[in-house]
Amino acid sequence: MRIHQYERVWLLASMVLIVGFIATITYGAVGLGITMVDDRGATIAPDEINEDERFGDPRVEQVGDDEYEVYAVAMTFAFQPDPIEIPADSEVTFYVTSRDVIHSFYVVGTNTNTMVIPGEISVVTVEFDEPGEYGLICTEYCGAAHHEMEGQLAVLEDEEFDLTELEVEAPDEVEPDGEIEITATVTNGQLEAIEETVTVELGDETLEESVTVEGDESESVTLTVDAADLGEGDHDWTASAGDLTESGTVSVVEGSEDDTEGGDDA
Amino acid sequence: MPNGATFADAYPTQARHIRAAFWASFLSLGVGAFFGLIQALHRTDILRVIESQTYYTVLTAHGVFLVISFTIFFLVGVFQWAVTDSLERPPVDMRFTWGWYGLMSLGASLTAFAILAGFTDSIDVRANVLFTFYAPLQAHPLFYVGLVVFVVGTWLAGADWFRSWLAWKGDNPGERIPLPTFMVLTTMIMWYISSIGVAVAILAFILPWSLELTGSLNPTLTRTLFWYFGHPVVYFWLLPAYLLWYILLPKLAGGRLFSDPLARVVFILFVLLSTPVGIHHQYLDPGISEGFKFIAMTNTMFLLLPSLLTAFTIIASMEHGARQRGGEGYFNWLTALPWRDPAFTGMALAGMVFAFGGFTGIVNAGMNINYLVHNTLWVPGHIHTQVGTAAALTFMAGAYWLVPQLTGNRLVGRGLALVQVVLWFVGIVFMTNSMYRGGLVGIPRRTAEPQYEGFEYEVAAGSVGELNAQLAIGGTILFVSAMLFLALMVLTAFNGGTEPIDDGSIPPALSGPEDSPAVLDNLKLWVAIAAVLVVIAYSFPLASIVSRGGLFGPDIGPIPVAIDAASTVARTALEAVSAVVR
Ligand code: HEM
Ligand SMILES: [Cu+2]
Ligand SMILES: [Cu+2]
Repeated sequence: MRIHQYERVWLLASMVLIVGFIATITYGAVGLGITMVDDRGATIAPDEINEDERFGDPRVEQVGDDEYEVYAVAMTFAFQPDPIEIPADSEVTFYVTSRDVIHSFYVVGTNTNTMVIPGEISVVTVEFDEPGEYGLICTEYCGAAHHEMEGQLAVLEDEEFDLTELEVEAPDEVEPDGEIEITATVTNGQLEAIEETVTVELGDETLEESVTVEGDESESVTLTVDAADLGEGDHDWTASAGDLTESGTVSVVEGSEDDTEGGDDA
Repeated sequence: MPNGATFADAYPTQARHIRAAFWASFLSLGVGAFFGLIQALHRTDILRVIESQTYYTVLTAHGVFLVISFTIFFLVGVFQWAVTDSLERPPVDMRFTWGWYGLMSLGASLTAFAILAGFTDSIDVRANVLFTFYAPLQAHPLFYVGLVVFVVGTWLAGADWFRSWLAWKGDNPGERIPLPTFMVLTTMIMWYISSIGVAVAILAFILPWSLELTGSLNPTLTRTLFWYFGHPVVYFWLLPAYLLWYILLPKLAGGRLFSDPLARVVFILFVLLSTPVGIHHQYLDPGISEGFKFIAMTNTMFLLLPSLLTAFTIIASMEHGARQRGGEGYFNWLTALPWRDPAFTGMALAGMVFAFGGFTGIVNAGMNINYLVHNTLWVPGHIHTQVGTAAALTFMAGAYWLVPQLTGNRLVGRGLALVQVVLWFVGIVFMTNSMYRGGLVGIPRRTAEPQYEGFEYEVAAGSVGELNAQLAIGGTILFVSAMLFLALMVLTAFNGGTEPIDDGSIPPALSGPEDSPAVLDNLKLWVAIAAVLVVIAYSFPLASIVSRGGLFGPDIGPIPVAIDAASTVARTALEAVSAVVR
């Protein structure tokens, strides 16, 4: 085959260019360890999500010193959990799956970007150095309100970040001759123990106690007050631990049924 | 073809058939461009004439009308012209030729109906699934049926051209396949190999599921089958433009094609490499291992080779043409080119935009850089430089030369035609500049309202407002340009009693087919190698996808896109609440 001299030079230069591109990208993948979304995630049928240990309760979990895992679910037209709060300078692995159609999970302006396909779990590990609020959007068309599918990723300073939860149990109504028991439970979702000052206030009564909560454990504090001391009527209570606060009202009334229903979750 | 006679004189019936294909193509261009304008104004919040949820009906129509209907109707016309003209014989049986044209038209009409019915509530038919129709989003079955009928039409068109070639071969034993026919046949081989993917996706999985014959499907499988077809389809749009660059452009420049052998090599490389790369559209997909993505990446990079070779041949041919016209110097020969000819200038501009877009394609193909731009506006930026200009502008420019040959009429408004191609270039520069930059700051594609509540895009130089203005201005210029093109075409069609300026003959290449080994024309060999490469690239990924998610997938109910936004939001809220309460 007759090939012109210039053509040969051009052909050679083209091949060098192509091999160069491949080498650069291979170096990025192997040398720099830029990982890709791949088949490491397990599969999960969308109708199993609610029963799943991880995705049934979408959340952030600490798994190592500076290692966190996020179990997130995408669906028309929202992300769970929302917002997602993670600490800066830690290794965070997102596990994302879909309840219905194909979505994506894209932290705007970053390379945290993956498709989310029903049946599959996308796994992405990232480290955010810059604290701040990032937009989290779905970039795959998923139906009529696709453009409304938005969540938020809050990357917090290490000091501001915790996985502490406060849960309060208090009655709604109490007989005038009964007792009011308010129990505040502090749960520590992180691995290291935390010190918290728990305060429970009801009427003039205040209970303040310092508790140490071990990693992955919870501690409770209970304030007990005689209803008679408060008298009939509505009484407000507040419980706090660190910057978490819960509040509610208990009524002291004649002929009520003493039901202790939980207050709101943190 | 007798010297001096136009194609229309020599083959009146065939010319009529090709004109019919072009009219179908131009109609689609007009409608598609109109939808493009609506998108450009809606996304940027400059003018919203539709509700945001209707945007996706518009976008589906834009995609399907332009990249399925406009491009493919045009290319079957060009291919019919190329085969007839270079073999110097009409199709074996014209009824068959009209038959496939009829099937394509029927298919396109069914699909168009399914999409456009989405604009009215009075017909219970909808197909707001975009041109990629990823399941489990579900369209009305007519949408899929139409696509299948359309594709079968193109398969028969290919069969028709092979039949013409075999008949020619019988009369011309031992002769090399004429280059234009060689290009058509190799392109069709690539098309056969690749369109099997979408045919299987629709016929085996999506259509039965949309007809409720099967309960569910595996979304990763249908998506992978789509992209098995989805990359080569871009070469199906592009190769007719290559054909025009190789066959017509050198002549328009005043010279001859530099090398016939290299042109053959280029088309063979496309047959071999176009298909085993589709996974590069799925770099961000879970359920596909990094190794498969890596293979797709390397294949994709090698696919640069035929395009780089094309750049060489075209520039060399233009230089030759310019020197024939008296051009001199290292770069001064450029001024000797026929820049006043809209057909030449349009193609040259399209080639320039293509070269730039090619580099942005390398970014997409880099599997880790891809993370920054995947599904952002960067991607439609790339799309509009490639199919939206390299193919579309070459087709329009080509039409300025071809349509006179096909009608026997002189082109109306040669000066305006020059304005038209330059306008397209200017419009595309504005629009894609905005899209590329918007993509880099994270503005997503495929959305009616890229303005979100919780954050703002950080544009380093400029602002979102400026990007929006450029997109809208660019889109408007493109729309005006498209309308101008259509007007000139209609006027030319009615410009009876005139004659084309050009005689329609194509000069032979400087280095002819005799300079290349005959093995290049051994089509069976290339089919076999291409098939092996496809099996290597796809058998393992497909087996792995099926073993992970099942042939018919986990049990996912269909998600008809017919549900209106309100009820979906309500359902979402309910689900969220129930998840919390539980
Ligand atoms: C009048 C000229 C045109 C205008 C104003 C225009 C405008 C647009 C805009 C604004 C988008 C982005 C929509 C979004 O992602 O939200 C888009 C997408 C697209 N355009 Fe165009 N366009 C034009 C011509 C073309 C041509 C000639 C082609 C191809 C031959 C084309 C093919 C596409 C494709 C394939 C998409 C992506 C569709 C999708 O994401 O499903 N466009 N166009
Ligand atoms: Cu979405
Ligand atoms: Cu591709």
